[in-house]
Amino acid sequence: MKKITVILYGIFLLLFTIFSYVFIDPNLLYLKGFYSGFAFSDRLLATIFYASLVVIFFIFYGIFIYLGYKKKINLKEIFMLLGMIAVILFISYPAMLSYDIFNYVATSKVLFFYHENPYVVMPFEFTRDPLLLFTHAANKIALYGPFWILLAGIPYFLGFGNFLITLFSFKFLIAIFYLGTAFLIWKMSKNIIPVILFSFNPLVVIETLVSGHNDIVMIFFILFSFFLLTKNKIIFAVLFFILSILIKYATILLVPIFLFIVWRLIRKKGVDWAKVYFFSSLVMLIAFLLSPLREEIYSWYAIWFIPFAFLVLNKKILLSVSIVFSLSLLLRYIPYMLTGTYSGQTPFMKEIISFIPPVLVLAYYGLKNKV
Amino acid sequence: MKNEKFVCLLILVFFFFFSSKSAFAESSYVLPYPSSMPGSFAYKFHLVYENISKYWHFGSFGQFEYNLKIADKYLVEAKTLFEYKQYLLAYKALKKSDFYFINILPQLIKANKEEKDIIQKRNILTYAVEKHIEVLEKIEGETPNAFVWRPEKALPTTLYLQKEIVNSVLLRKKSL
Repeated sequence: MKKITVILYGIFLLLFTIFSYVFIDPNLLYLKGFYSGFAFSDRLLATIFYASLVVIFFIFYGIFIYLGYKKKINLKEIFMLLGMIAVILFISYPAMLSYDIFNYVATSKVLFFYHENPYVVMPFEFTRDPLLLFTHAANKIALYGPFWILLAGIPYFLGFGNFLITLFSFKFLIAIFYLGTAFLIWKMSKNIIPVILFSFNPLVVIETLVSGHNDIVMIFFILFSFFLLTKNKIIFAVLFFILSILIKYATILLVPIFLFIVWRLIRKKGVDWAKVYFFSSLVMLIAFLLSPLREEIYSWYAIWFIPFAFLVLNKKILLSVSIVFSLSLLLRYIPYMLTGTYSGQTPFMKEIISFIPPVLVLAYYGLKNKV
Repeated sequence: MKNEKFVCLLILVFFFFFSSKSAFAESSYVLPYPSSMPGSFAYKFHLVYENISKYWHFGSFGQFEYNLKIADKYLVEAKTLFEYKQYLLAYKALKKSDFYFINILPQLIKANKEEKDIIQKRNILTYAVEKHIEVLEKIEGETPNAFVWRPEKALPTTLYLQKEIVNSVLLRKKSL
């Protein structure tokens, strides 16, 4: 059964990769040969395909969790599978659901090609640049932390000035951090269930390996910082904690928790790591819920709290909410995919789809506890 | 007392709306509000920030933006000080504005050599020049020709204010 599951999963990932190419932006001249316009001309069919693929993704997710609980899969097999996922999805089209990766390329080009400060000069000020044809947030100065901008230099230079190589170098960098995070979760939990819950989670997989969001980099550094604290290496932990903040700022909210752990360690008092992960998850969940204050809730922001939630296996409610949120946030793309507009009913529908399922889960647990 | 406060507030609100409308009537380019003035506590911090900010705005476009921003700031400072007849300080502020303004065009030339498209920046500079000249001509009409500055324990110095303002206008016209 396991072998068939792996083969089917591999085929499914390939299909998903092929499907991602129906979303190619018509202005993306570098992939003109692959442009079909299908996602824009037959929106209903594209949406049905997408929703079905997400559901299948979750079925596989359930199967892998089952295999993990039944101890029918070992760590080596898990990491071989993760390697397979990373390799197949590496070739997927990254701007299927979000255009952020183009923004990463544009921002790094402002710094490393034009030698301008991306916190001062916006990509759209370089009016002749072909990136402007398809970069969606070109009218904004750099949105990310300085460490991310420096780190983005690696894929930028690996691209040797070729847009497609640069684009896929970004995906490669993100894939490394994905595998690194999965490995850290194993090191921190010494249990394959959190590894499976996190690294096979469809939202994590799609937003990280397909869309190439840098949230995983921020999470890698924060987890690495906590891991170093478990080894009592406070100075290095502080360093990696700061690096995490300098990727995307959101982890700054974990400063009180971090300071509390350091205080406990200095006082040579024990640290209840399950509690630390639980509260970290809650804080990052609050950060996620408060993100509309800045702009809006984006699906990939769930990566902020999901890894912590999956490190606390005894908090069933947190686990359930995280998994259901993963599904609802992937379905959040449907209203726009279907209508092609961000206005009208789309924002309302997006909120309904995103929040009704987790609220129902909370209501279920609430009723269960009353009974 | 309460009514008086309300009336004052109302007048302030009306003043704000009407004054802002007339300020933007002639040129679409928007100058900043006056920030802290020489002698105030915050002014020194502004000077430090200004110096650090110079390194933050690296690159030809960054330097273009920096020099234009600071030239604008000192022009507004000069205008405010001229209005309050603080001629020495106003004279110095205008000199500073000129100093930063001179640096703008070379940055555009540099950007052009780096094959960056400078059309938008060129337009911004044109609008800025028009606005600067508009402000300078207004100041010129309200300022005495010369002013004798008598510092303590030193010889008096004559500041040729109108001449300086005319120089500033010419300097800006050159970049058109």
